[in-house]
Amino acid sequence: MSASAEPPVLSLSNVVSGYKGLQVLKGISFDIAAGDFVTVVGPNGHGKSTLLKTISGLVALTSGAIRINGEPAPAKPHTIAGLGVAHVPQGDMLFPEMSVLENLLMGAYLAPSKAEVERRLDEVYTLLPKLSDRRDQLASSLSGGERRMVGIGRGLMMGGQILLIDEPSLGLAPLIIEQIYGVIAELSRSGRTILLVEENPARVADLADHLHLLDDGVIVWSGPPAELLARDELLATYLGG
Amino acid sequence: MNKTSSSKGMSINARIDLLVSLLLIAAAIALPFMIDSRYVLGQIVLALFYATIASQWNLLFGFAGVFSLAQMAMFAFGGYATAMICFYFGWNVWAALLPGALSAVVFSLIVGLACLRLTGVYVALLTLAIAQTMYLLIVTDTECFTMVGSICRQFTGGAVGFARFGDLGTRALLKGQWLAGNYAIIATLFAVTMLVTYIIVKSPIGLAFRALKDNPGYAVARGVNRFQAQLLVFGISAFFTGLAGGFYAAHFQAIGPGILSMSQLMFIIAITVVGGVGTFWGPLVGTIVLVAADELMREAGEFRTLGLGLIIALSILLMPKGLVGRLGDLLSWLRSRDRAAASAINFQEKPATTGK
Amino acid sequence: MFDILTAILIAGLTTGALYALATVGLSLVWGSMGMLNMAHAAMLTLGGYSAFTLCTVLGLPVIVGFAGAIVIGAVAGGLLYVLIVRNLLKTDKATFEANVMIATVGIGIALENAILLTYGGQPLKQPISANGSFVLGPVSLPFQNMLIVLVVIALMAVIALLLGKTRMGRAIRATAQNREAAQLMGVAVNSVYFQVLVLSGAIAGICGVMVSSMTQLSPPLGNDPMLKAFIMCVVAGLGNLPGAVAAAFGLALLEAFVQYVAGARWGFPTLLFVVIAVLIWRPAGLFGRVQIRRM
Repeated sequence: MSASAEPPVLSLSNVVSGYKGLQVLKGISFDIAAGDFVTVVGPNGHGKSTLLKTISGLVALTSGAIRINGEPAPAKPHTIAGLGVAHVPQGDMLFPEMSVLENLLMGAYLAPSKAEVERRLDEVYTLLPKLSDRRDQLASSLSGGERRMVGIGRGLMMGGQILLIDEPSLGLAPLIIEQIYGVIAELSRSGRTILLVEENPARVADLADHLHLLDDGVIVWSGPPAELLARDELLATYLGG
Repeated sequence: MNKTSSSKGMSINARIDLLVSLLLIAAAIALPFMIDSRYVLGQIVLALFYATIASQWNLLFGFAGVFSLAQMAMFAFGGYATAMICFYFGWNVWAALLPGALSAVVFSLIVGLACLRLTGVYVALLTLAIAQTMYLLIVTDTECFTMVGSICRQFTGGAVGFARFGDLGTRALLKGQWLAGNYAIIATLFAVTMLVTYIIVKSPIGLAFRALKDNPGYAVARGVNRFQAQLLVFGISAFFTGLAGGFYAAHFQAIGPGILSMSQLMFIIAITVVGGVGTFWGPLVGTIVLVAADELMREAGEFRTLGLGLIIALSILLMPKGLVGRLGDLLSWLRSRDRAAASAINFQEKPATTGK
Repeated sequence: MFDILTAILIAGLTTGALYALATVGLSLVWGSMGMLNMAHAAMLTLGGYSAFTLCTVLGLPVIVGFAGAIVIGAVAGGLLYVLIVRNLLKTDKATFEANVMIATVGIGIALENAILLTYGGQPLKQPISANGSFVLGPVSLPFQNMLIVLVVIALMAVIALLLGKTRMGRAIRATAQNREAAQLMGVAVNSVYFQVLVLSGAIAGICGVMVSSMTQLSPPLGNDPMLKAFIMCVVAGLGNLPGAVAAAFGLALLEAFVQYVAGARWGFPTLLFVVIAVLIWRPAGLFGRVQIRRM
């Protein structure tokens, strides 16, 4: 991980957030540099999804600061796309009554021109050819793996350099998971900055530069993923072995 | 609603409720002696009816979250049932009141069953449709059911309704003071309704209702049977509303489809909203404010309905918690300021074990 | 027999077209915002009276009256958002649903009475209407009815194109289908809500002009179409626009049939029975999808 002089693309300091009456994140701080692949793991229900939602604005920040490319992150979720951050949420959150193509077009909602939309669409179809095959199919009629791909494709259509991906392996068969991670690896290779939430650290051991272990709203351990997998006591305590 | 329990037994909120109740009872007893005008006393009796209905709609919607628009249909059902029992079977009004209320309960359970799988605005639409149907069936009933003298009478009374089927007996007993007698009866009805409602709201049943409104999933997970609770709140709400309907018919010695009109329903909703949805005293406060405002606007004549519409819209916009809700917030704020001041001074006090 | 059938068909299709227009306005708002706009009736009435004022009182040409109704309806919708809905949206969903319904009831009552106070309660004649009929063999088709059906079909086409093919329409549908995801894409949902209410207001304005051209202008003009539009929305299922249009025509034909066969006063109760039955057997509506409640 390079220690460059530019500001980190994503910077969290003492982030505290939660839902009414329930504090989930209790003081999170870390930075992500351009091109990094950072993953967050931890037991379920301890704030991984909330972390991504706080960055994108779906969950309000109680205290602390979030900076994107040095600028303070906005509180409103609809401005995050304009800052180049694409949040691919858990469970896809596709538009069920729209076709695959329409879902992708929605991803390019803020695109400056039709030509740009076409360009991004070509890029997505190249990376995910199945989406081209199924472009007119209704999102609600797709299989789990196809939906996941539409979700990622839609995130790419936003044209940003920062991707927040929430549990891409959720509910999918092992073979499909491999395909999805193949796509994600390709995205990382192309220089995008990725913050990925994952339940099973073994899946991202080869891909991620850096890992944070989140438990009960705080980061309890940070380091290279391979190191976590070697530490049996951490695995046992937080991830059930 | 924070309940800071002191070691002295009753919570502060409960003591406020008791104090207010005692004051109201004293005022209610003194009232007929202080008012000369028959018109004013009559309007107060009418207001008491509104307050009773509003308190039950508040129970249904404010506490249990059921957005029913059939409240006046319950009221009418009870009233019509009482009137018809007296009219067709010749019973005394007092004997017919309970059966009237119970038949309203049966009706409400049927409505409740129909609404079981629905939520939110769908409940509102279904109950509205049922109330409208009831209104139409009564008003368009033209078939002669019986003959009274030479006049044709419909089974449901048609557009004319029922009259001269009996009264509360105060005219015979009190002669000129019959209105004060009726006032006492209706005031007692209101007091009993409020008391029972209070007991229910503070009981485990009341908690179950509130859980249904605030977090249905959580309630179900904790073992609250959603269907039973919903039917129960429909039934309770209908009992007192239907009973009030019977008393209404007896007091005015007449009942007709006019009570099913939209504007009557809107008035009840407005009362509850202005007073404070989901608060205990809201319906009473709302009744006092809106009946007073209505009287004042009577001078304005044709601007009355316009004014009512604006009041409803502005209240929900500016004071969604209603007057009582706002007052409650103010009291909580004052109390938390006092507590902060007190604990700043007395740092030798025992560590507080009360909730934050 | 043939006469009766054609009479029922003409009446049913005309009222169906009018109800469809009223329903689309409601369903659009309901589907994208979860809001039951009880002021829709008054907005219809406002549209009718606007056209009347522009044409009869101010003497302007018919086309100005028609356009004026659209503009005033749109403005009314916009005001409704800015003054009322925007502030109520800050609460959670369940509270918002009830609060906005109550608030719009208040606004509806106030608006209807304001119109009553300004114009008086006596029925007025809508100047935008056509006289005469088109005779096709044994059948006589009044121009008025044909005009209404044609205008409504044209409008439906415009709205379908708007929603289906434009960026704004996509944003509206996306917000209706998954609000949070739409926000992540950069959709400012508050703008969408504003646009939807403006659109719905414009549609209500046109609808009011056309309804009053068939009957007459009076302050409670919009109440009947609005209630029936609700019924049709519910029967079709929340937010389902094509379904609502189909329900509108279907139920209008049913109403016309029942009125001819059993008498005028059985029309509305029939619709009520239908909606009660639908809500009990298919709580999500005939074409609606059952929302899985994530506990």
